[in-house]
Amino acid sequence: MKKIITSLLSLSMALSMVTGAAVTANAEEAGDITLDVIICQYGPNTNDWFLGTGMDGSNFVEKFEAENPGIKLNLDVVSWNDVYTEVDTRIANNNAPDILNIDVFANYANEGLLLPVSDYCPEDLFEDFFPSFIEQSVIDDTVWAVPDLASARALFCNVDIFEEVGIDYPTTWAELEDACQAIIDYYDGEVYPWGIDMTTDEGQAAFAYYVWGNGGGFVDENGEWAVNSDENVEAINFALSLIDNGYTNPNPATQTRYDLQDMFAAGKLAMVIAPNQLPTYVADKGGDINMVTVNIPANDGKASSSVGVMDRVMAFKDDTAGDQDARNEAIGKFLKFFYDPENYVGWVSMEGFLPAVNSAVEALVAADPSFEAWLDVLAGCQFYPTAKAEWDQVKQGVIAAEQNALTGADIQDELDALQADLVG
Amino acid sequence: MNTVKGKRKWEPYIWLLPSVLLISVFVVFPIIIVFRLSFSEISKAGVVGGFNGFQNYIDAVNLPAFKTVMQNTLWWVLSVVGLSTLLGFIIALVFNQKFAGRKIARSIMIFPWATSLVIQASVWNYIIKYEYGNLNNVLLNLGIIKEAINWRSSYQIEFVWECACGIFVTVPFVTFCVLSGLQSIDEALYESATVDGAGFWKKLFSITLPLVKPSLSVSTVLNIIYVFNSFPIVYTMTKGAPANKTDTMITYLYMLSFYDRKKGPAIALSVIGFVILCVCAGVYMLAVMRKEEER
Amino acid sequence: MKKTETTKQNRTALIILLIGLALACVLMCAPLYTFQASVYTKKSSNTFVGDEKYAQTLEEVEEVAQQYREQGFEAQINEAVTERTNSKGEKTSLITFTIDQSFHKTVWSFLGSDLPSGHVLRIMACCMVLAVLCTVFGSIGTMNTEYKFLPGRTRMLRSAAGLFLLADLILTPVFVLMNNYAFWRKTSLYYQDLITDGKEEWFAKMDDFLFGGRMGDNIEAALKNLNADHSALVWVLLFCFLLSIIAAVQLRNGTIKNTMLKGMLYAFVIVVCVITLYPYYVMLITAFRSNAETLDMYFLHMLPTEWIWSNLKDIVSRGVPRYLLNSVMIAGGATVLAMLCGIPAAYAMARMNFKGKKVFLGFVIMSQMFSPVVLLIGISQLMNILHLNDTIPGLIFVNAAFNQAFAVWLLRGTFVSISPEMEQAAKIDGCTTVGSLLRVLLPMAAPGIVTTLIFVFINAWNEYTISTVLISTASNRPITVGITQFSSFNMIEWQYLFAASLLATIPVVILFMAIEKHLTAGLTSGGVKG
Repeated sequence: MKKIITSLLSLSMALSMVTGAAVTANAEEAGDITLDVIICQYGPNTNDWFLGTGMDGSNFVEKFEAENPGIKLNLDVVSWNDVYTEVDTRIANNNAPDILNIDVFANYANEGLLLPVSDYCPEDLFEDFFPSFIEQSVIDDTVWAVPDLASARALFCNVDIFEEVGIDYPTTWAELEDACQAIIDYYDGEVYPWGIDMTTDEGQAAFAYYVWGNGGGFVDENGEWAVNSDENVEAINFALSLIDNGYTNPNPATQTRYDLQDMFAAGKLAMVIAPNQLPTYVADKGGDINMVTVNIPANDGKASSSVGVMDRVMAFKDDTAGDQDARNEAIGKFLKFFYDPENYVGWVSMEGFLPAVNSAVEALVAADPSFEAWLDVLAGCQFYPTAKAEWDQVKQGVIAAEQNALTGADIQDELDALQADLVG
Repeated sequence: MNTVKGKRKWEPYIWLLPSVLLISVFVVFPIIIVFRLSFSEISKAGVVGGFNGFQNYIDAVNLPAFKTVMQNTLWWVLSVVGLSTLLGFIIALVFNQKFAGRKIARSIMIFPWATSLVIQASVWNYIIKYEYGNLNNVLLNLGIIKEAINWRSSYQIEFVWECACGIFVTVPFVTFCVLSGLQSIDEALYESATVDGAGFWKKLFSITLPLVKPSLSVSTVLNIIYVFNSFPIVYTMTKGAPANKTDTMITYLYMLSFYDRKKGPAIALSVIGFVILCVCAGVYMLAVMRKEEER
Repeated sequence: MKKTETTKQNRTALIILLIGLALACVLMCAPLYTFQASVYTKKSSNTFVGDEKYAQTLEEVEEVAQQYREQGFEAQINEAVTERTNSKGEKTSLITFTIDQSFHKTVWSFLGSDLPSGHVLRIMACCMVLAVLCTVFGSIGTMNTEYKFLPGRTRMLRSAAGLFLLADLILTPVFVLMNNYAFWRKTSLYYQDLITDGKEEWFAKMDDFLFGGRMGDNIEAALKNLNADHSALVWVLLFCFLLSIIAAVQLRNGTIKNTMLKGMLYAFVIVVCVITLYPYYVMLITAFRSNAETLDMYFLHMLPTEWIWSNLKDIVSRGVPRYLLNSVMIAGGATVLAMLCGIPAAYAMARMNFKGKKVFLGFVIMSQMFSPVVLLIGISQLMNILHLNDTIPGLIFVNAAFNQAFAVWLLRGTFVSISPEMEQAAKIDGCTTVGSLLRVLLPMAAPGIVTTLIFVFINAWNEYTISTVLISTASNRPITVGITQFSSFNMIEWQYLFAASLLATIPVVILFMAIEKHLTAGLTSGGVKG
């Protein structure tokens, strides 16, 4: 047995050495520009679309390289779980990717790692982006990244449950409490009325839903951090009271939005705040839910506000590149190809998101009329202040504050401490 | 033992060279890099700046969650290593008896050891889900419980589950270490003890325990190192939520580095962890060596 | 003198056995099961006591109650009012009318029922009768015989009695749990329409058992709020049967202690094995469920309703074979490298005396102390310098290095346990040191080497953290990293995750089982002499 194992192992060793050598050889081809690209995995088909056979039997990389001879793509699809680790490690190694698709950009911009968009983005393409989206990526009057797609959140309600109980969809916090109580009474707690996700993954969204619905926010009207405003404290205390009263899913600190969506799909959750992909998601999970979208409830007298989430594409500086202009041009070609409606529309609708460029709207609305309503929602959305350098800290800070509050700490103290950290 | 003659004094070192080289390049060198980084300023995105003195260490100790995390780590290591050793020992005693199906039972015992921690953690994470987990499924459908139970109703309980999962994967290693020790014990020792009228407990404490002690202590030291450094279980099951209350040091410094982007303190923390382990293992090795000298 | 002692022992055992069974019978006559049913429920929201809607609803409920009374039930109307004041100061109210019934049943009452637990109970009763018969016929005329002189037929009868009692012991929890399942779960699944197969039939059986068939079409409503409970006294049955079994063992061969110890041993082994295998059972059944069924929030099915073998096909098309191949290369390469470096070092440690032996030992142990997570940044910088970033050889080196300590430790132990005489003899015959190592020591140490080999292989196979960071190209990922695409935080596809996990686990488990025999030997030499 030993012999077999040894020979097998040595064979595999030899094999691996060969593949290793092949990899290094590939990268050293002369004359070509190779762009390192990192794309985030948005769904089960992302990988197939970029690297497999998901694009009508071909894939993004093949098509791009065929259309742009002289430019090679070294494209990776990375899961959201690993992408920060991967990018940070590569930056620490002076091995940053050329093009990165991710949600945050401020740290990279502030540390001088990014190229301004004007250096590489063709003018006609730049004009095509929704201006309100571009604004979200500006620091010191320079645009550092372009939006790749967006999603908007709204409140989804299970119509059957509301009809069975005989109540209206809530528009204010007080009505929300009434509705929750009515559902609890009617179903003896077998249906959770309201979903809250305060997990490490997306707890900042929960924060936004409530504070924006109470006239608060992450920043004040001057754009300075104001996480501990009275409105915020009141809003989070309201959210916590929903949990304390038993209106919500039982483990808000570890049940992610996807857990909530699963419960909604199974008819165990009456209301959930979710993005526009929810109907597709529910159908994929085999759920048959009669649902309706309404505005996220706000405190009495305050405006309801939808939450927009936007991801971005950005290009990193690379001082070692021989011909900077050629490199910039190559990046521009990549963007041009990516946002070409022929490619972009297919991708956005495959992932079920909302587009970031005007030229894609028409085709998407034609394919699915419900897009139009969502584009309206998107127009009224508020976005996270991702252009501020401290955003990472704020994001983790509010999540920690919420989670501490869930285990009994006072939210006022928690947010005060975070604010002091930010300002001091 | 061969005694090495004068001119071949260098020979043993040649034999060691490949091993030393491999460890030096791929373990020691990264350690040096990490030590150097722990005294440098590191930006949020990971850009390394200049010398920073002990600032990273000061920041690390002053982190709000530092105390909780240290306590968790202590509990984690103590409970997982302690209970695994106890359980592994008991199971080894039983599995050392002769019974029908012993080979099968021993093979089954290997399973958790042979499975990747990420996979184990994912499975347990699925098992104890409240809404659709398999534990509730099985218990309900066997008629053991009336309603689904929320197995993770508080973070303390979730931490207990994490420890249980840690124990589950660690027990087989202890079991087999003890089994190997047990097998080297001469049956005759027990027979003569029985003739002398020694009972079960007496035999356990005066024959079995002293003779499996070397195996037990080796497995304990290795387990302390492995368990302290264990990452996937906590990361998969809770990611340290809520607010780092279920984090151990290793997961905390990962979260610190890649979620909170406080890379300086994270690296300082990893050096602190290394020093703690070194001290523990050092104390242990001193104790063992002293004993050997006494012999 | 001996004879009378045996007789006395037998007599006591016989009495205890019968008392145990009698106790069980009596217990089964007690009203251990309690049922509470709201045979009719009517919820009316936005209704206030005394208003028009209230009167209307009440009238409706009265009518139903009258029907029940005509059928011979004691129908009592209960009403519960949930009144709240909502945020606008309006009063809301939910009124619930129920017609209640409550009654008790004994265990024996299941004997004639058509419920699944009825079948179990009938088997139990048969076993009890047979046990008594076997004991009686196995005792007649042999009460005075010493155990070793018992005739074969008597031995058989007495053994059979014990086995029948064991069957009763095992069937008791089966009976109770089946009832629990029937009353707590199955019925509620039917009226929630979550399962539909055989619904009418099931309700008819329940009607027969609970209401003597009088409920007819109303049975569904009547079962809606069924509250069934058994008294904890049911578990005393276990004690009764255990008592009888102990007596039966005494009657069979007079040595209770050994038999009971053996029984406990098997019970312990079975419990340990069941717990150990449980996660693998979960992995297996979940791997072949459909996406929707992995999130079975009503816990309808213990096993997949349909085994979706195409899950395997799906993960194959999502790169799993490639990841498995990568893992084989990484783990295989790392193993070879670790052995190539480790064998000489272990040989030197085992066979030579030199300065710095302890320093080397300390050095090796220290290399184990740092977690890969901690060293992530260091390792990836190193890989950058060596141009091994994102390559499989890079991972081979790292894995080999991190397993060096373990390999050296195990191999050294193996070598030490082999006496050096053979090598010395070979050297006298003109062999070089290397020659004697290759031709004499290695073949002799083969079991230990295979153990080490597989240890390193498995550690490298299961490594996750370093690979996550070092490998970014999808086609270079090992399987442990590859499976995370199924559990990214924006979606978990449990069925794919576990199907891939299964594929990743099976080869390792087989490898490990192959060396099970050597495993303890390898660890002994490493551990005891370490």
